[in-house]
Amino acid sequence: MNVPIAAWTLLAACGSGSRDVRDALRTGRSGLRPNDFEPAPGLSTYLGRVEGVEDFVVPSSLSHFDCRNNRLAMMGLALDGFEACVARAVRRHGAHRVGVFVGTSTSGILATELALCAAPSRNGDVPLSPDFYRYRHSMHSVTELVRGVLGLRGPAMTVSTACSSSAKVFAVAARAISAGVCDAAVVGGADSVAMSTLHGFNALSLLSRAPCRPFDADRDGISIGEAAAFALLDPSADSDVALEGCGESSDGYHMSTPDPEGAGAAAAMREALASAHLCADEIGYVNLHGTASRANDAAEDLAVQAVLGDRVPAGSTKGFTGHALGAAGIVEAAICLIALTDGFLPGTLNCRTVDAQIRSRILLDPVAATPAHVMTNSFGFGGSNCTLVLGRRT
Amino acid sequence: MSASFAASVVGVGICAPGMIDWVVARDVLCGRCEWRPDPLPKLDVPLLPSTERRRVNPAARLAIAAAAQAVAPWPVDRRASIASVFASGNGDGDVLAGTLQTLVDDATAMSPTLFHNSVFNAPAGYWTIANRSRARSTTVSAGAGSFAAGVLEATVEVAMTREPVLMVAADMPFPASLAAFDVTGAAFAAALLLSPPDDSTASSFGRLEIAVHEGSPGSTGDDVDPAVATAFRRNPAARALPLLAAIARGVPSRMDLPYVDGCYLGMTFTP
Repeated sequence: MNVPIAAWTLLAACGSGSRDVRDALRTGRSGLRPNDFEPAPGLSTYLGRVEGVEDFVVPSSLSHFDCRNNRLAMMGLALDGFEACVARAVRRHGAHRVGVFVGTSTSGILATELALCAAPSRNGDVPLSPDFYRYRHSMHSVTELVRGVLGLRGPAMTVSTACSSSAKVFAVAARAISAGVCDAAVVGGADSVAMSTLHGFNALSLLSRAPCRPFDADRDGISIGEAAAFALLDPSADSDVALEGCGESSDGYHMSTPDPEGAGAAAAMREALASAHLCADEIGYVNLHGTASRANDAAEDLAVQAVLGDRVPAGSTKGFTGHALGAAGIVEAAICLIALTDGFLPGTLNCRTVDAQIRSRILLDPVAATPAHVMTNSFGFGGSNCTLVLGRRT
Repeated sequence: MSASFAASVVGVGICAPGMIDWVVARDVLCGRCEWRPDPLPKLDVPLLPSTERRRVNPAARLAIAAAAQAVAPWPVDRRASIASVFASGNGDGDVLAGTLQTLVDDATAMSPTLFHNSVFNAPAGYWTIANRSRARSTTVSAGAGSFAAGVLEATVEVAMTREPVLMVAADMPFPASLAAFDVTGAAFAAALLLSPPDDSTASSFGRLEIAVHEGSPGSTGDDVDPAVATAFRRNPAARALPLLAAIARGVPSRMDLPYVDGCYLGMTFTP
């Protein structure tokens, strides 16, 4: 597999646009801060909340789409010159030949949460309606929004497989392009913070009270983040980077706990290597899922050992971004693209002492390097695993 | 028009009020017996370990009821290797309503089970747990065009991997507390086990050929009993009905399926 990536854009808690995120990664600037999300007060946790979402002005032609998740998506699309690159692809291929594949775990559920919690005792006054559901809440609303903003008329679907969603869009889009369903594709991910996810992870005792510390001996849970990121896959583009491989698997083990042996994760990593026609020692960096939950990091380490051994530089960037759930896959794919094009590997922010049980080569600090091929892992509830291999084109 | 793809339909499943399984549905869709809107019983997933069997959410029960029929002719040890595509317009309305009610009443009382059941891929998660499957599984949505999205992704996967793929579309009614959304109506789940068209190892109901077309859909395909068509009109998964009717009757059929604004999915079924 070799699908050129013509452009990408990245909005996360630690930075707005790829350059800003790159600076954050290089200087160790985290986007995590104590929970100040107004709809979920009282939860003692750190959040990777994106600045400026509340003040973002939605164009009047798209006002029916207004919700926090779609605002993130609109803010993300507007960065990094991405919309102009898509417009060029539309001129080349036609709007009907550019697909849209967006990953999200909860889409606009926050809109309904706010509508109900703002007026819990006045059911009749809550402004819920079929249009509210379709454009602000439903799984597909973010994909419809992206098609609308970019003027695309081709095949489209939302992929929702929890925290692997926006990694899997790369696999779905690559298949669609390869099969001739479309000539190019916009892939993306957007997930906003929501009351249900914050309280849900809290109920599972998975939220850290401190900024998350992936792979640290004292790691004690995740920090939730929010983000939006997009990429343009275009086989006709003359670009420096490409999607080289995808691997998808299931754990078949438990709804919210990873298989402790990491067997499903390892299967995804092996398949990604095979589809990239690479062997383990050709991978120069792995961006790990690395949520900082005890179970995830331990199981993922076993998968890395089984597939790549203990020599490949590896790290988690969740300490910068928080865990952006359904957007995490593409956020970390974009971070891999930054590493490939900028000549450095990010460190694992907040990890001070690597857990003695962890045998992967965890990078604590950023290092200069020019890998040709890098890998990124994304795992989700329901045992959904996806691994991508990205590389520099020579 | 996009490139077209073909797959062989080697398994079929259905679960809906008055059509509890394919055997009953076939008679209804052939016009051999009248459809009666018998409510669905509480659906069980006997393959799940006991804890999961208690916890499995309604949308997953519905989807898995159809999925299990589609793979039933296959040996148990082969089922674990079958990749799957789950499609739904609206997901689990009961879990959504329960989650929202918890947030209104006391957010700190959120149930861990309710939360992990709230992921859109919960049916896929329970399906892979029930079958101890490590196979690829994707869950997609495209609003009212979700069935078309699922068929498209599954057929493309068959074409690209040359392996069988199980496609399951399911949508269930939303409870009264979310009536303002006015989505889904009656429950409906359909499952198709698709194989490469030249696969001779499985007996086939027929050949399905699909392509994405620009514009708006024309023919919606074979006539479905008006009472059935009306009952499931608003259910995204029930866009499977014209295809299932053609399979039940064993007659050739051409159908245009609603997909997303600007395109539709053309489907041709040849027994």
